[in-house]
Amino acid sequence: MKTVRLSPADTDDLLYVGRDLQKPDVKKKVTGQAVYTEDIDMPGLAEGRLLHCPHPFARVKRIDTSKAEALPGVLAVLTAKDAPEARFSRSTMAEALPSFAFDGERQDQRILTDLCRYRGDCVAAVAAEDIYVAEQALDLIEVEYELLQPVFDPFEAMKPGAVAVHDDVKNNIAFEMDHPFNMGDTGKAFDEADVVVEFSGVNSRQKHLHMETDSAIAHFDETGRLTVISPSQGPHLGKKHLSERVFPDLNDGDIRWISPAIGGGFGARLALGLEPVAVLLARHTGRPIRVTSTREEDFNGYSSRTDQHQTVRLAAKSDGTVIGIEQHIVSDAGAYLSHSATTSLVNMQKSLGLFRCENVYGHVKVVYTNTPVTAGFRGYGNAEGAFVLQQAIDMLAERLGMDPIEIRAKNIRKEGEQSFFIPCKLEHSRLQECIDEGAKAFDWANKFRGWDRQKDEGRFKRGVGMSILNHASGAGGFLLEHSSAIMKVQADGSANLVISPCEMGQGILGALAQVAAELSGVPYDKIRIVTGDTDVTLFDIGSHASRSMFVVGNAVADCARKINAIIRERAVPHFEKRQIKVTPDQLVAKGGEIYPEGQPDKAIPIGEVAHDEIYNFSDAGAQITASGSYLSTSHHPNHQAAFAEVEVDTETGHVSVLRYLAAHDIGRAINPLLVESQMQGAAVQGLGFALKEDFVLDQKTGEVLNDTLLTYLAPTVMDVPELETLMIEDPFEKGPLGAKGVGEAGVVNPAAAVANAIYDAIGVRLHSVPMTPEKVLAMLQSGGAENPAGSSCVSGQRL
Amino acid sequence: MKMLATFNVNGRDRDTVIAPHMTLADVLRDQLRLTGTKRACTGGNCGACTVLMDGVPVCSCIQLAVNARDRKIETVEGLAKPGGDLSALQEAFARNNAAQCGFCTSGMLMTAEALLRSNPRPTREEVKVAISGNICRCTGYVKIVDAIMEATAAAQEAAE
Repeated sequence: MKTVRLSPADTDDLLYVGRDLQKPDVKKKVTGQAVYTEDIDMPGLAEGRLLHCPHPFARVKRIDTSKAEALPGVLAVLTAKDAPEARFSRSTMAEALPSFAFDGERQDQRILTDLCRYRGDCVAAVAAEDIYVAEQALDLIEVEYELLQPVFDPFEAMKPGAVAVHDDVKNNIAFEMDHPFNMGDTGKAFDEADVVVEFSGVNSRQKHLHMETDSAIAHFDETGRLTVISPSQGPHLGKKHLSERVFPDLNDGDIRWISPAIGGGFGARLALGLEPVAVLLARHTGRPIRVTSTREEDFNGYSSRTDQHQTVRLAAKSDGTVIGIEQHIVSDAGAYLSHSATTSLVNMQKSLGLFRCENVYGHVKVVYTNTPVTAGFRGYGNAEGAFVLQQAIDMLAERLGMDPIEIRAKNIRKEGEQSFFIPCKLEHSRLQECIDEGAKAFDWANKFRGWDRQKDEGRFKRGVGMSILNHASGAGGFLLEHSSAIMKVQADGSANLVISPCEMGQGILGALAQVAAELSGVPYDKIRIVTGDTDVTLFDIGSHASRSMFVVGNAVADCARKINAIIRERAVPHFEKRQIKVTPDQLVAKGGEIYPEGQPDKAIPIGEVAHDEIYNFSDAGAQITASGSYLSTSHHPNHQAAFAEVEVDTETGHVSVLRYLAAHDIGRAINPLLVESQMQGAAVQGLGFALKEDFVLDQKTGEVLNDTLLTYLAPTVMDVPELETLMIEDPFEKGPLGAKGVGEAGVVNPAAAVANAIYDAIGVRLHSVPMTPEKVLAMLQSGGAENPAGSSCVSGQRL
Repeated sequence: MKMLATFNVNGRDRDTVIAPHMTLADVLRDQLRLTGTKRACTGGNCGACTVLMDGVPVCSCIQLAVNARDRKIETVEGLAKPGGDLSALQEAFARNNAAQCGFCTSGMLMTAEALLRSNPRPTREEVKVAISGNICRCTGYVKIVDAIMEATAAAQEAAE
C-alpha cells in the first residue's frame, strides 16, 4: 500500500482518523463469535425448505401435498393458493428512486407460484421441526407440470412471435428507457467526426457468491408484530417494501427488521431474498421460521450480475476530443424484473458520463427470459460498461496514434464541470492524479510500447493495458440519500453510537467509529456500536452505492460534533469547581479528556462530566446525547485508474495477470488498512469477473451447468497476481473529515484493463467476459474474426 | 435411528444424540452450538467448515459425524489461549484485517493453524498452497497471507 498525499493535510492533529485501527467486530470474527442468521437459535424455531420447479417454463397442473403434510414433524406445506396474490419485485429500489430516474418498476412475481418462469421458481414451501424432516417432506410433494416452450436468449425473446414469459408484456421487453441525460445531437456529431469507433461486448452473470448463503428468520410475536432477521444490506427499505408490496395488510411499523452479521453482500442483499417466504410460513404456523438456501439454490435462484449486451460508439476529432458517444444496452432480466433495469441505467450514467461530451445518446432495453433472475452487483453496472467503453476509447487512441493515457486525460471531466450525474457539478476529482501517479508507479511510459510495435516472439506474449472509472459516493439526487446517527454518553465516558449501515465485511462500523471518536472526544475503543435493528436505528437506505462512508459518515460527524459541544458546555462548571474560568469555546474535548485549549495538563476525564450529568443528585442534568443527520444532494464521484500487465499463452489461450495496480481518489482514507482491504478484495473479484467466473446456462434446457463452488470458478489465492494499491489523498471538503467512497470502484477496472492488455499482447479484442482460454484461442485462430459469446445489441448478431 | 454419541471437541468430551446421516458440521453447529464453524457449500468445496480432526484439517460438512466420535476435534472456538486471549494467529488476522465478512475466517484459521503446527516456518508460497482450498470472497487473500506470515515462528521470533 502506498499513500500519495497531494496536499499534505495536517494529520498529526488527528488521534484516530488516518490510522489502521482494528474494526470493532474483528475479534468476534476471528474467534467464531460473530452471529449470522443461521447461527441464531430461539424458542420454538422451526425450519423451512422450498420446492423449486425443475423446468424452465411450466404450469402446475396438479399439486398434491397430502403425503408431505402427513409426515410427523411437518408444520405446514404451502402452495400458490396459500400465497398472497400481491405481486412484488425483489428489488427494493423503487422505494428510494424518483420517477425521472426510473419509471419502469414492475411488481411481477409471487412468493409461491403455479406458473413457473424459471427453474428456480418456488411451487411449494415446507415448515418442519427440523431441516431433515423438511427435506423429506419436499420429496413427498407430488407435482404434475404442463411444460411450456421456454426462451433463453434475450434477442430471440424480443422477436415478434416469441414466447411470452409474462402475458402482459409485449416482445418480452420488461423495461425500456432513454438515458435521462441524453443531450445534443449525436447524429450530427458522428457526421462531423474525424474518427468513429464502435465496439460491442457482453458480460457473464457473475455470481455474488457471498459465502453465507441466503437465510431469513420470521417471527410474529404475541401482539402480531413481525420480526424479520436476515442478512439484508438495507433493512429499512426492506420493511417498507415487504409491507407495501408483499404483505399489504402489514404497515411499515408492524415490522422490526434485524440485520445481524452478514456473510458478504456485494449487492445481492439489496433485494428481498427468502424473507417473504419465511414470513408466509411463520404466519401459517404461528412459529418462528428460518429458511436457509443451499449453495445450489443460491446458484439456481436469485441472483447474479446482469448480463448486459452493449454497443458503444465514439465520435472524435483528430486531436482526440470526444464529440459524440452512444451506448445501446440490451440486458437480460431473467424471469423477473429485479435490479436488472436500474443496474443498466446506472451503467449508462457512469459510461456516458465519464468523458466530457455534449452529444450523448443512451438507450436500454431489459428483456425477460426463462432464466434465473439477474441483479445488481458491486459497481452496479459500471464494470459491465467499462469493459466495453474502455476498449472503445483504446480503439480510438490507436486510430489516432495516441497513448491510452493521453486520450483519457484529454477527455475526462475536470473539477467545476458537470459531473457524470449531469444535474450536479463535479466538486472534487483527483482522477488525473490517479492516472499520473498510477502510471508512474506502474512504469507505463516504458511498459507501453506503442500501437505499432512488433508483438513478442514465441508462445508467451506480454502486454499492458489500463482503464479508468468514475463512481459514486452515494447517489444524492437519484436516491433518498439521507441518514441519521444517535450518540449517547454513558456514565464512564464511553458512548453508544447508533447507526444504520449493515456490516457485511467492508469495515464500515470501524471507519464510522473513528469519525465519531475523532469529532466527539470519546476514545475509539470506548465507542460501542448499535446497528442493524430498525426499531433502534434511524432511517437509511442501506449499505450500497459506496455511500456509507460519505453519507452516513457525514451524519455521524454531525452527531459527534454536537456531542463534543455538549461535553464542553457541561464541563464548564467542573472547571469552575477547580477555579478555572473558561467558556465552552475555550475547551477542547479529545481522546477522552477535556482541557482548556493549550493546557492539556489541566485535563479532566469526559467520564467525570458524563457521570455527573446522570448520577449527581445536586447537579444532574440530562444524559449527554445527540442525534445528527445528513442529506447528500450529489453523487460526489470517487475515481480510480488501473493498470494491468498480462502474459498470454498463445497455445492454450490462458491469460495470466502478472501485475495489477489501482490508484484510488479517496479524498481522505479514514482507515487506510480498511481502504486497502476494499481495493484488494474488489480487484480480485474484478479479476475473477475478467478471466474466470462464468455462469453457464444450458441453451437447450435453461439448466445452470455449474451450480457448485467446485464447478463455478471463483478466484482462489493461487489466482492473485502481484497487487498494488495507491491511495490518492486530498481531503474533499464536503466529506466527513474529507473522505469519499471506495467499496465498489475496485471491481470496475480489472476486466477492462486486462482486455486492453490482452489486445496489446496479441492484437485481438475480446467481446465477452470472462475472457476464458477457449475464447482467447478462438479469437487467435480466427484472427479476431470470431468471438463465440459476444453479441451486438444493435443488430443482435454474434460477434 | 438415533444414537447417543460422545465427541471430544476442543479437549472436552461432549455427549449428544445424533442420527447416522448427520455430518460433523451439523453436530458441531446444531447439536453442540459451536456455530463458529460455517456451512457455506456443504460439498467440501470451499473450506469454510474446516476443523481439525486429530490435527488434520478436514471439511466438516463432508465428514459423517459417526466417524468423528473417536477423534480429537478442534474448532475455531478452541483457538484462543486459556483465559481467552487471542492466539498469535488470531491476533495477526485481526491486526491485518484478514477477516472481512468473517464467514470464511474460521476455516482459514483452522487451515492455517494446521499448517503452522506441521510447518512453523512456511514460505509465502507454502502458505498460499495450504489455503488454496479455502475460498474467500471479500479480501482478495492478500491480507490473509500477510496475517499467516506474521504468525509464523520466524515472524514471532523477529517480533520478540
